[in-house]
Amino acid sequence: MTKHQRLMYSFASGCVFLVLVVILTACTEAVPQDVVEAIESIDRNLMDLRAAELAPDDYSRFAHQWIALKARVEAEEDLIHWPWEPNELDLALRKLYEEGIQTVARVADQRKVLRETAEHKLTAVENRFQVLTDQVGAIDSRLVLGQQLIETDLLVKQARAFFEDGKFERSIEASDKAGQMLTSQATVLSNELGRYADHGRIGRWQRMAKDTIAWSQRHHTSAIIVSKADRVLTLYKNGQKVLSYPVRLGFNGIREKRYQGDGATPEGRYHITGKRGQGQTQFYRALLLDYPNEEDRRRFHSARKTGLIPASKGIGGQIEIHGVENELMAQTLGCVMLENAQMVYLYDRVEKGTPVTIVGALHEHNSVAEALANLGQRNTI
Amino acid sequence: MTEKRLNFALIALALVLVTGCAKPPTEQIEAAEKAVAEAQQSGAATYVAEEYTKLEGALSALKKEVADQDTKFALLRDYGKAEQLAIAAKTDAERVKGEAEKKREEAKTAALQAQQAAQESVRVTLDLVAKAPAGKDRAALEAIKADADALKASLNQVQIAIDKADYQAAQKQAEAIREKSAAVSHEIETALAKIGKGKAPAKKK
Repeated sequence: MTKHQRLMYSFASGCVFLVLVVILTACTEAVPQDVVEAIESIDRNLMDLRAAELAPDDYSRFAHQWIALKARVEAEEDLIHWPWEPNELDLALRKLYEEGIQTVARVADQRKVLRETAEHKLTAVENRFQVLTDQVGAIDSRLVLGQQLIETDLLVKQARAFFEDGKFERSIEASDKAGQMLTSQATVLSNELGRYADHGRIGRWQRMAKDTIAWSQRHHTSAIIVSKADRVLTLYKNGQKVLSYPVRLGFNGIREKRYQGDGATPEGRYHITGKRGQGQTQFYRALLLDYPNEEDRRRFHSARKTGLIPASKGIGGQIEIHGVENELMAQTLGCVMLENAQMVYLYDRVEKGTPVTIVGALHEHNSVAEALANLGQRNTI
Repeated sequence: MTEKRLNFALIALALVLVTGCAKPPTEQIEAAEKAVAEAQQSGAATYVAEEYTKLEGALSALKKEVADQDTKFALLRDYGKAEQLAIAAKTDAERVKGEAEKKREEAKTAALQAQQAAQESVRVTLDLVAKAPAGKDRAALEAIKADADALKASLNQVQIAIDKADYQAAQKQAEAIREKSAAVSHEIETALAKIGKGKAPAKKK
């Protein structure tokens, strides 16, 4: 081989080598690993967003495509393509990547909206529950609602717990349920205590009080008026107001008395039938009332006949105006309770036969009517 | 002689065509579907929702592959990929079922523990209510007693949720009961401390 031939041979070899290098480096893998990793990352994002629960259709569409492509990725992992050859898998993966990005954005938006909805509903129901608790506490009507208040409290707590766990749909479900219960409780209160906001009923109570005061004036003697809504006892002498004392009522005192043991304080025209001084009562001093009177008996028997009162229940009795046995005792079983010092003062200014009229309320803007109005307003929010 | 050879050749070709036709991997497909159904029954859609959706995707891909092959000329059909997909789907379904069962068991354990704690808390509350004095002083505790009774009744709701395998709801409800019960117990202790010992029960009212 001449020098020239060797030179030509080397040149040709170099060219072939160069062409091979160019060709080989220009080859592309059938599976674009970067896109596959990006799609895997999108899938993780969607799982973090709980896409399957939140947007099942969106996630299903993405996951089904991804699973189908994944099978192809595994099958074609080792293949290479010429750059000029069409790569359908690459195109499909890039298309899924683009769709995946949009799905993540859409699901993230949905989750954000759901979170905001859940938060809004939770805050609203927590506020409503607080208002109900406050109003019920203010008018001592906790027992009117029975177990419903606790059930609602538990639901509100569950709604909060689900919200904090990121389970917004369940939080909304619990909030809605609690909201419905709050509405139902406002209705129960309105049905049970609506008479405190009833113009006609308040008019009757006002007339009862007016008659009692007039009687006191006519007979130049004492008379007592107790307003349950105001929790106030007022003593009149010769038709003139002498004093007003705050009182405590039965543990269910705001209600209309129906039967023995219901904790309600009766409403009606009564008289003092006896006085018990120190040592004769466990409550410091006591003024016995003639509950049940004729009107109470008639109402009781009528309610029992219609089944409103269970047959096993009695009408009750021993309703008194008394002092405090224990300074920290908050409520009675249906009596009217005064502080001992005030009880002494009252005790000395009344006698057997003194009329005692107990009414629900003396004016339309009473605490119970206001509480019901507040609850009604909250329910419309 | 030539005619005989031709007949023989035709019969041989027919045999090749008949026996050479590939068939779908029915057994493997059925096994995969069964495994996915079992995963679903184990609560996968609730406890590993995304994984379960992917299983459904795998079944769809499998069915599509079989359908694609079915549309081809008989001799060109190849169900090898379908078989691989079916085997993979079955394996995945078994794994997902295991994960779902594990998570479900964890949720159940958490719910039962919460239920037990709630029951204990309510028991303490009811014991405190029972210790409250009888008679007129009891009136102060009537509202609290009603709350304690309501808490006791709410424990049934926890059991109902557990019976329905809604462990998340059961756990949250039980935790709420325990929290509320502790608050009521505290209220009773405070009231008892204030009231002191009661007197004999009053008669009427």
